[in-house]
Amino acid sequence: MTDGPLIVQSDKTLLLEVDHEMAGECRKAIAPFAELERAPEHVHTYRITPLALWNARAAGHDAEQVVDALIAYSRYPVPHALLVDIAETMARYGRLRLEKHPVHGLALTSTDRAVLEEVLRSKKIQPLLGERLGADGVAVHPSERGNIKQYLLKLGWPAEDLAGYVDGEAHPIALTEDGWQLRTYQREAAEAFWHGGSGVVVLPCGAGKTIVGAAAMAQAQSTTLILVTNTVSAHQWRQELLKRTSLTEDEIGEYSGTKKEIRPVTIATYQVMTTRRQGAYRHLELFDARDWGLVIYDEVHLLPAPIFRMTADLQARRRVGLTATLVREDGREGDVFSLIGPKRYDAPWKEMENQGWIAPADCVEVRVTLTDEERLAYAMAEAEERYRFCATTPSKSRVTEALVRRHPDEQVLVIGQYIDQLDELGEHLNAPVIKGETKIKERERLFQAFRDKEIQVLVVSKVANFSIDLPEAAVAIQVSGTFGSRQEEAQRLGRVLRPKADGGGARFYSVVSRDTVDQDFAAHRQRFLAEQGYAYQIIDADDVLAGE
Amino acid sequence: MSTEFTEWLRSRSDEQLRALAAVRPELVTPVPAHLEGLAGRASSPSAVGRVLDRLDRFTLSVVETLTVLPSPISYGSLRAQMARALPGAADPVFRSTLKETVERLRTLALVYGPDNALAPAPGVREVLDGPAGLGPPAVEVFRHYHAERLAELIEDIAGEGGDAKSDTRSDTKEALADLLGDQKIVGRLIEDVSPQARSALNELAWGPASGRVPNARREVRATTAQSPIEQLLSRALLGATGEETVVLPREVGLFLRDGRIHQDLSPVPPAMDGARRDRKLADRTAAGQAFTFTRAVEELCERWSADPPGVLRSGGLAVRDLKRIAALLDLPEWVAGLIIEVAHAAGLVAASGAVDGDWLPTPVYDAWRMKGTEDRWVMLAMTWLTMDRVPGVIGERDERDRLLNALHPDLRRSAAAEVRATTLGMLAAAEPGMAPTLDSVRERLAWEQPRRRGAHRDQLVEFTVREAEQIGVTGLGMLVGHGRALLPGLPGLPGGSRVGSPGELLAPLLPEPLDHVFLQADLTAVAPGPLTSELRRWLALSAEVESTGGATVYRFDERSIRRALDAGQGADEILALLERHSTTPVPQPLSYLVTDVARRHGRMRIGTASAYVRCDDSSLLDEVMADKRSMPLRLRRLAPTVIASKSSRPALIDSLRAMGYAPAAESLDGDVIITQIDVRRTEGPPLVRSSATFNGLEADVVAAAIRAVRAGDAAHQARRVPLDVPDGQVPRSPTTATISALRDAIRQGSQVWIGYLDSQGNATSRILEPARMEGGYLTAYDETRAAVHRFALHRITGIADIV
Repeated sequence: MTDGPLIVQSDKTLLLEVDHEMAGECRKAIAPFAELERAPEHVHTYRITPLALWNARAAGHDAEQVVDALIAYSRYPVPHALLVDIAETMARYGRLRLEKHPVHGLALTSTDRAVLEEVLRSKKIQPLLGERLGADGVAVHPSERGNIKQYLLKLGWPAEDLAGYVDGEAHPIALTEDGWQLRTYQREAAEAFWHGGSGVVVLPCGAGKTIVGAAAMAQAQSTTLILVTNTVSAHQWRQELLKRTSLTEDEIGEYSGTKKEIRPVTIATYQVMTTRRQGAYRHLELFDARDWGLVIYDEVHLLPAPIFRMTADLQARRRVGLTATLVREDGREGDVFSLIGPKRYDAPWKEMENQGWIAPADCVEVRVTLTDEERLAYAMAEAEERYRFCATTPSKSRVTEALVRRHPDEQVLVIGQYIDQLDELGEHLNAPVIKGETKIKERERLFQAFRDKEIQVLVVSKVANFSIDLPEAAVAIQVSGTFGSRQEEAQRLGRVLRPKADGGGARFYSVVSRDTVDQDFAAHRQRFLAEQGYAYQIIDADDVLAGE
Repeated sequence: MSTEFTEWLRSRSDEQLRALAAVRPELVTPVPAHLEGLAGRASSPSAVGRVLDRLDRFTLSVVETLTVLPSPISYGSLRAQMARALPGAADPVFRSTLKETVERLRTLALVYGPDNALAPAPGVREVLDGPAGLGPPAVEVFRHYHAERLAELIEDIAGEGGDAKSDTRSDTKEALADLLGDQKIVGRLIEDVSPQARSALNELAWGPASGRVPNARREVRATTAQSPIEQLLSRALLGATGEETVVLPREVGLFLRDGRIHQDLSPVPPAMDGARRDRKLADRTAAGQAFTFTRAVEELCERWSADPPGVLRSGGLAVRDLKRIAALLDLPEWVAGLIIEVAHAAGLVAASGAVDGDWLPTPVYDAWRMKGTEDRWVMLAMTWLTMDRVPGVIGERDERDRLLNALHPDLRRSAAAEVRATTLGMLAAAEPGMAPTLDSVRERLAWEQPRRRGAHRDQLVEFTVREAEQIGVTGLGMLVGHGRALLPGLPGLPGGSRVGSPGELLAPLLPEPLDHVFLQADLTAVAPGPLTSELRRWLALSAEVESTGGATVYRFDERSIRRALDAGQGADEILALLERHSTTPVPQPLSYLVTDVARRHGRMRIGTASAYVRCDDSSLLDEVMADKRSMPLRLRRLAPTVIASKSSRPALIDSLRAMGYAPAAESLDGDVIITQIDVRRTEGPPLVRSSATFNGLEADVVAAAIRAVRAGDAAHQARRVPLDVPDGQVPRSPTTATISALRDAIRQGSQVWIGYLDSQGNATSRILEPARMEGGYLTAYDETRAAVHRFALHRITGIADIV
């Protein structure tokens, strides 16, 4: 019996005891081939999935390394069947290769004839292929480079794409490191991407993914297309690029609902790209408008399906995906793998936090006991009205106001789902409210005022969830909002996780009505946050009110 | 019956006969009357077949060679013939092995005679149909040919200027055989035919010696023969044995084999190959698997305790139920099938007797559960090793295309236990530190037991290998210490591995049970290893298992905490237990959860009452409660105007009336009945079948049997006059004394005088030489009747020594 820090479970999860003296080196050994799933305080859970194994293969690790790592660090014997399964799964990557072909442009070749024959029999693959090139190869229509990779992955034989990239139109871009420096992990991430050709960089919110994008552009030295989630985010990219790189105003274009500029560096929103008129995508020409040398996908985990289809045709361009998580709610992780590329860089949140790059967060759930009348009203409410009712009770508002009063000197963000509740809170707290109908200009003005500490409290609706940058928010109070998805939660938390000038900790409150469906959603939230490794505690609203 | 063989047996020493009885115990069960009987039994097809099945390829080749060559033959000629089958030159290993082999065959009575005249025992030729892949001799091949056709063949073979003597022989078949036995003639015939015909012959040369052609019986002459087959048929190089089958006569086959009977023969078994692995790691892996397997069986029984699947009308477990338990245990279906079958064969689960019964754990399970992991595993592993059921075929279809369900009666295969033991034996034979590949195990088995082959057997071997790994008998493909100890008669590993019982070897490899868990803020508890049974049971009650393996991950939620509270635990108690078994402080969200659930737990109370008394006038109810006569009614005041009662409504009404009140019955539909899930058990242990593994007879039994045969034989030979019975009555003696006296007589080989009630009830007395005693019967040579008889022990009235 060795005394390793790792325990291998029968469902292919790995449990890592973090306080073990060998935990650090073990984490380094298993991180390439196992996805961190949960990171609560004592035992972290990693999962070995085929995609994770293929990511490891793409990063140059072989099955022997994986098996050795498991055996070396495992406390108990590793089931032989699991090791065999790992070796077999890993051996599947790279049996098929996409390579350049002098005559046909692109060819699918294999060292294993049986595998080639197997995939050639697939009805979905056949139409993508051209003529047979000897026993071990077959021509592929260059335009089907993305599709074939998708189908091959579905068949369980992910192809290694060695067909290379076009250089694209050259354009000089340099980082201007005046008063700031590329952080070590940012440089590593950009280099890892560049060596891999294409792929995804996984970094937590607030870790400076935009800068990784800028560094990638500086590597590519070519025209770049940046795809982002929305207009606000597009504006932030633009500002960051102006600040961090040698690019000037004239070199950066915005392609959105209001502007249609195409410049050496163009920032487009997913929304405009997926707008259809009479059933056709109107803005596809953007992809062909220039000979792009690099395509950057912001928030890859949110990439909508049409963009995937468009990306399938862009396989000859270098692509980098930036994201906080590879987990997609729609389960299309495989498409990210085959179309954008394998994971090239990954750093766990908790460690970034320890290094001081992101602020430690304290999560507090405040349980509000409803008054007797409220409980009666809740019990009588229609099923579809129940959540709205318990999420917006006056008791909650009182507690929220008390919480805001607790932090008189800090930037406070109040987040909610229901507009009337937010309006009411805004009125009571004497704070501006940002909601869907707020104009972009007005939004940006308020954000800037908040950043400049002219406003201390800001009330925002769901619209603020994505890709806005509020560097000085030290406290976030969530008053309503279903636990929609893990990403939404990650985003929300990301709002307050930016490192603050004073290095102080961030605080994330959620106000929850006791014994209602609100509490059920809170249970999901609690699990997610605890799994992410954040300190979590539950307090009673009475204690908050009593502290007044 | 060959008298030579009988004579040879008779000439064997007692010791040699004892050796024969020891290796072929079926020959002396029951004890034959004399050596002629023994010889007859030894040459019966079933007895010969059974012993031939046990021979390895080299030994079998010796027997085959002896049957192909004319008998008797000298040892020298045998050796010369065998040496030709070797790929290289005869080496000392071959010489000594051959010598030992012939001696062994003599011991087995498959070969008899002195070195200058060896012969296969009678019956061997008949059983060995087509030895070494050769066809039958020409005499047999052409047996059904009519005389004219034979004459034509002889004419064509003899050819122009052929021997004139051919037609003088009366038996044309033998004449033909003689011709084919002549090397020169066969050589000439083969040269005559076309190259295609020659290659057809070469196809058949090394067996199988028969082939299929249409219209095999066509009668063609050498001059008119067209196709290659016709050329061969017309020259008797092939003989038709059916409408569409032809066979290569043995003489022609031997010619084509260039005088060899076998090729590429090896006196030693083929070496196995496979990956080299660390033995310690293999031991640990197997121990881990043993632990997992044992736990899976327990998990299965626990699941079935609460929620048993039904027994199908055909007697098995529904596919649906198998899938369900496989999903619950998070195992592939074949492993789930294995677990179910082993648990059943071990008597841990059984069908509850009635029609439409359920599969339920038995009381045996309760006893098993209390034992240590190593003992539990040994019981399961032994059961697997000896059971005659084959879990591997679950999900396949039988010859009538019916699906084979788990626990179905048709899952039995008589060879299963024997194949398992043999296969593990092969793994044990691999050099230490090597995990032989399945192919090399198969190859080795084919050498060790060339006559026992076939797809079914190969499948059983494959099942054995994969199941052994699953159960933890092997680790990383190698037979490990505790697995080896399961097999009797296998020596311990050379080089250090301690010898001991399987349990003793396994125990130190098993993980030590822990009494602590990690509690985390995401409301999980991680047990980083197996837990003490007390803690495990408590966690199973108050948390849900989320993942298993080396560790167990439990998750607390509202429901699970409520379950613990329902089981009578208080919040303080739960928190104290958590605190005690956690190495770190209890996370705040977890303690909050416990107190929060406890806060709400039991605020509403629910009970059962059979009837109630309702009255708006609470003073009237005060009166009822105060009345002493209401005591037996077990009334309980729930509220000022309501009393609940355990008595039934009619009884309550009657009693209250008797007390002088005037109650009226009220229709009600609010009775609450709480059903509880019972943990159920079936009656008694099930019938456990395991195929009897015959480990041979004990030495003294063998000796006695041989003595009896000898004595019987002496009588048989001398046509001995039966002895006179001594005068007088045999004194009566108690049964125990009789039995011990008989046992002494068997051991010493002495004679005794007994009183016996024959089947008609007549009192007789006999002089016996007892041979063996079993199942209430005594087998003995009866001197007074000069024959071997069986005597019912309960009819022996007394016993005395012969004066």
